[in-house]
Amino acid sequence: MEVLPEVDCEEDVTITDDEEDDEESSLSNIRITHTVTHIAKPRPQVALSKCPSSYKENSSQEKLMAAMAENFRQQYALLYPDRKALLLCPVNECSVQKFVSTTLRSTLLPYPELYDWEGCASFVADYLSLELLDPPFELPKQLSSPTWVLQTQRGTCFDFSIVLCSLLLGAGYNAYCVSGYATKEMCLLDQSRQECPLLQPQIQDKTEEPKKPMKKYSVKPPRDLHSNFERRQEEKQQAEAEAATLKKQLDAERLQKERERPPPDPLRGLRVHCWVLLLSGNREIPENFFIDPLTGKSYSTTDENFLGIESVWNHQNYWVNKQDCTFGCNEMTFDLGDLSKWEYVLCGQSLSIISDPKTLEEPEDEEEEEMDELKVFEMPPSWVTTIDISPADMEMRYPGGMKVIEYRKAKLEKFAPYLLKDGLVTKLTTYKDLDCTKASTIKEWFKHRSDHLDERELHTDSNVTTEHFRPGRSDALKYHRYVTLVPETERQMDFYSHIRTDGLARRIEKPFEMTETFENRTDFLFYRNAVYGKQIKVIRAGEALEQRPLQRVEERFHRDHSKPASKDVAERIFVVSDRRIQVTFHLEDDRIIPAWLNFIKPKEAADSQKAQAFTPQMVSGFQVDPSTKPYTNLQLYEMLVELMREEENVELHIRDSEKEVRSILSSREKEDSNTDLLISIYNPTRNEMARLHMEEKERMAKEKKQRQKEKELDLLAPSQVRLGLPEVLTSQDALQLKTDCLNEFKQQLFNKASLIQSRIEKETEELQKKQLWYQKNYLTMSNEDEDDYLAYCSDAMFRIHVLKMRLIRHKERAPQKYLALEEKLKRHPRLESGEVCRMLDHPSQMRLQFRLVAVLNHGHVI
Amino acid sequence: MNWQQDEPKVIDEEMLKQAIEEQGPQGQAGDISKKEGIQYEDVLQLRLDYRNILKIFHLWHFTSLTKLQLDNNVIERIEGLENLTNLVWLDLSFNNIQVIEGLEALVKLQDLSLFNNRISVIENLDTLQNLHILSFGNNAIAQLENVLYLRKFKHLRTLNLAGNPICEEESYKTFVTAYLPDLVYLDYRLLDEQTRETANTKYKYAVEAMQQNELQEQQAMEAQKISNEELQLHKDAFVEFLNGPQLFDSMFDEDPDGEKLALLPGMEALLESYPCKMEALCVQIFDAGLTQHAQRTAEVESFFTCSHEAVADNRQKAAQIAADFESSRRQKIVEMQQITDVELLEDNISSCQEQASQLSETLMSLELQLVDQLEDIFKDFERNISDMVGGFIEYVQGIFAQCRDLENQHHEQQLEIALATLEKVVKNELEEEIPDDMAMLLVDKDTVTNAVSASHDTHLLKIDNREDELLTRINSWMSGLLKSIHDEEVKRNRKRVSEIRNYVSYVKDELEDMRMSEHH
Repeated sequence: MEVLPEVDCEEDVTITDDEEDDEESSLSNIRITHTVTHIAKPRPQVALSKCPSSYKENSSQEKLMAAMAENFRQQYALLYPDRKALLLCPVNECSVQKFVSTTLRSTLLPYPELYDWEGCASFVADYLSLELLDPPFELPKQLSSPTWVLQTQRGTCFDFSIVLCSLLLGAGYNAYCVSGYATKEMCLLDQSRQECPLLQPQIQDKTEEPKKPMKKYSVKPPRDLHSNFERRQEEKQQAEAEAATLKKQLDAERLQKERERPPPDPLRGLRVHCWVLLLSGNREIPENFFIDPLTGKSYSTTDENFLGIESVWNHQNYWVNKQDCTFGCNEMTFDLGDLSKWEYVLCGQSLSIISDPKTLEEPEDEEEEEMDELKVFEMPPSWVTTIDISPADMEMRYPGGMKVIEYRKAKLEKFAPYLLKDGLVTKLTTYKDLDCTKASTIKEWFKHRSDHLDERELHTDSNVTTEHFRPGRSDALKYHRYVTLVPETERQMDFYSHIRTDGLARRIEKPFEMTETFENRTDFLFYRNAVYGKQIKVIRAGEALEQRPLQRVEERFHRDHSKPASKDVAERIFVVSDRRIQVTFHLEDDRIIPAWLNFIKPKEAADSQKAQAFTPQMVSGFQVDPSTKPYTNLQLYEMLVELMREEENVELHIRDSEKEVRSILSSREKEDSNTDLLISIYNPTRNEMARLHMEEKERMAKEKKQRQKEKELDLLAPSQVRLGLPEVLTSQDALQLKTDCLNEFKQQLFNKASLIQSRIEKETEELQKKQLWYQKNYLTMSNEDEDDYLAYCSDAMFRIHVLKMRLIRHKERAPQKYLALEEKLKRHPRLESGEVCRMLDHPSQMRLQFRLVAVLNHGHVI
Repeated sequence: MNWQQDEPKVIDEEMLKQAIEEQGPQGQAGDISKKEGIQYEDVLQLRLDYRNILKIFHLWHFTSLTKLQLDNNVIERIEGLENLTNLVWLDLSFNNIQVIEGLEALVKLQDLSLFNNRISVIENLDTLQNLHILSFGNNAIAQLENVLYLRKFKHLRTLNLAGNPICEEESYKTFVTAYLPDLVYLDYRLLDEQTRETANTKYKYAVEAMQQNELQEQQAMEAQKISNEELQLHKDAFVEFLNGPQLFDSMFDEDPDGEKLALLPGMEALLESYPCKMEALCVQIFDAGLTQHAQRTAEVESFFTCSHEAVADNRQKAAQIAADFESSRRQKIVEMQQITDVELLEDNISSCQEQASQLSETLMSLELQLVDQLEDIFKDFERNISDMVGGFIEYVQGIFAQCRDLENQHHEQQLEIALATLEKVVKNELEEEIPDDMAMLLVDKDTVTNAVSASHDTHLLKIDNREDELLTRINSWMSGLLKSIHDEEVKRNRKRVSEIRNYVSYVKDELEDMRMSEHH
């Protein structure tokens, strides 16, 4: 069945024989240096007993497959003696040989992040830790099942690929595992020469502003009166200078690169690697590409990191590459149906699927194909059980909940949410040097923190910390940049202005200055700047306060269109130290110079002298239009009074701001030292309340079900069985059944009554005995005995009383119960034949009831 | 003092002065205002209560008054309030007013109180559309229908009718509630849901019918408005009444001879085709007029946006320069005030003056540049718009010429028919009876020819008139537009130049003052 066509095949192997000999001799000398993270630990022993039987033995189909693979291998070895052995039937964790395609188990897990290839790839890269191949130029001896790999969270690159490929196939991608050769960095998962992806500047899609169409009457720009020649000369000089600096920079960069270049790898081209190939077609993949399962990144099929391909496989077939890979994978084609380039193991069925999905849709061919396919051997189903990942494992994501990746001049640490107490999930440290000793910035990302801190960045040079917060804080803080948390130092705070009642958007502080900007205020204020003087002591309300006196406050306002421009204040400057107030109004339409007024505050009343009276000399100003009516003194005076009041208000506002800063800083300090993590109400594993609530609900549901079941209990069944009556009842039988049932119940009630009665009798009897005994002996009794006796008596009396009560209750309720049962039976579906009801005539019913009561009373009387 | 025994008074100067002084600013502000004297125009509130006033007088100075209280007087007529157009609040309660009148000009009025008067009819308030609060309590209103008058006040929320004869009526409250659905307070009380419901159920149909009528009226008004707008558009395009047979109709309207001639045998066919052709030509003019109008509007708009943009741009630049200068100047002044050395100060002052001159130059050159730029585009615009108008005029003239041709043709045919008929009449060959009017004409050739040409002349005159009207109007529109643009620009330029001069001279004066004070 499987016959290799005799095709002249070039030497596909990347290294010629003599080279290989050289290599082999030198191989023993090479010591492979592992990065710390990938030290191979001994594999945990397989709990073989737990493995399903398909893991431990081969089915007949699989055996046949193995035989065919062996046949293929022999032919292949014969035809291509120079090529390396293929990975066809490695042993699994139970030491059973399995064909590689059957190790793939296509699975779609119920996590939305695993529905696309990016999610799958990054998940696999995060979830597993790498075990290096040993030696690095040999195929692994063992290929574990994906379930096993996911359980141990460890595996070789082959295990990674098998898991990733299984997930991708489940998500509907046309995915293949590729066995081949790659560069050292790729095989060893060494990213220390790559830039950290988090550091790469995010590409902003610059939507170019649509150029304004040249309007018909646009004015011409004023004539440029500069010499063109001079400008050109200048430009030339500038360009030269720029070129020089650029060259220098390039040189420096080149030098730097050369210094950084790794020593040549003696094993280049021999290092075995396994990755995933995604072919275009399914799920809107426009072009073929590779995914490296170790990093989860995608590469183009011509990427120079991939040096050669031996074979590819999916869950249906296995193809061996017949193309030359001397120069990497540049010119490879991935048309697996092309027999001159790819050699398949199983002929037939998969070709049609892969080469052209359209042929499948043609109904005419289908029958013929089916006829053919009947003879074709199909790949046996996967021996692996379904892949399952628990939500908890999914959340932990990294082996042990954390993972460290080293990049060029950067170190990335990832943690599972809720793993660390302070909510840290990602930490990126960038360094100034290649050896990663001097940190330059430390960037941390947090999740679920109760103080809503999202991101923190520390620049070690300037010692500046910046923090970003998510919305939800009571102080609406959005961003905070600071050196220390001490008040009255340099800092910047941004706020979610739409949440705040005062519309504060930003507050920038310097040692002697505070600037606040506002948004969307009803009083149109958008800017306030306060300048302080040296700190002095102020005694207020008996307390000595260190306070910086205000020297100058500047406020700016947007235009309020309800007022005329010349009356609408644009800027107010309170020069507190000079006792001056400066008011500038908005520009009128078509004006370029605003009107302004300068006030000098009159002196307040002091001990010796009266308050200074207002005089027109205290005001000066400029009026744009000399023809408008000047302000009257009254207006000016009123304005001044208003401004003085405003000045007081402004000072209060500023002091409030300072207070707020202090309170924010102290709360930040507290939050940082003692962080709680918030737990969403939708997180049942962590939210205790929610879980309890859920359990309660479940329990209720269960109980309800139980009750439902009880309700449906068949009352008639026992009697029916006992009487040996058939399922379908005649009216005679039904009557019989009913009376039987009722009688039985009546008997039960009697029994209960008599039981209680007998207990009462017993207790009374005992009490009487005791009393007799007491009467006989009470003269000779000790005090203790007497106490005992009295205690017993009261006890017994109590018990008797209880029993009597129970009896009375029982007697009261027994007829009701009896009637209820009768009612129920009347409606019982199996007895629901009119005759039955009629037969049980009213008097007899009544009689029955009376008798019951009588009997009960009788019992009691006894 | 018992005010009731006082003589009835008329508002006079003395009373006003006293009231203003009493009610004006107090304390230091009062002193200042007394010194300065109070301008009646600036007073915002005035209270003239309990003064036994009989006649409102002397109030025309108070143009910015917003609140006026004339309660508790003996006023009999509302008068003399025409100039108080800014009034928002007017209190005329406790007077002897019988008729609502003289309030038409107070369109900003929101709160009107006529409590405790002798009013029997609510009327003459149509212009007061901003009314929020109305008080007619303790009056003599006896007809519930008066309430319907209040439906036109869309903002009315509070109404007081307590103490009127209508309140005795059983259905008073429900009636008012049903017909004034936006009312919130009636007679000192909040209208609750229950009252509303009962009122609505009771008067549902009546109110609905009324609403229906109002809606129809409104729709009719809207339709009228739309057609007016359309007509205005046509007028703006100078082609009104050319989209139909109006021109033709007007030609024949004032044409007594034509009417008679129309009765000539054989004229019918002629008169059938003629209006159609005429109308087609008119419609051509009309369509061209509308499209041309749209083009012209677009052109004008484009010109205005561009020129406004340029002006705004320039203004921003100039304002920036001025602001920079001003801030540096202030700093300089503060610095200079601390200089004690006279010579150094002198140096500083002169350098500042130089800078001021420089600023004036910069701003002026910027302004000149703008003037140049605007002049350029204005010239372009002038050329384009006159080209457009010229083209349109040419086209219209062509069509009017066709109209005249048509008329000439018509005239010839008419003449032919008339002469032929005359001949027949003369020869007595005519079969039909001729009406008497016609018989009068068909006396001899001259009379007939005269009549026909008289009709022809009337027609031509009409056409000429229409053409002339169109041409004069479009030309006057164009020249008016261009003139207004030019005038605006000149005004703007003057304003800017005077602004710059004013500012620079202010700066220089200030410096001069400083120098003077230093020398002393």
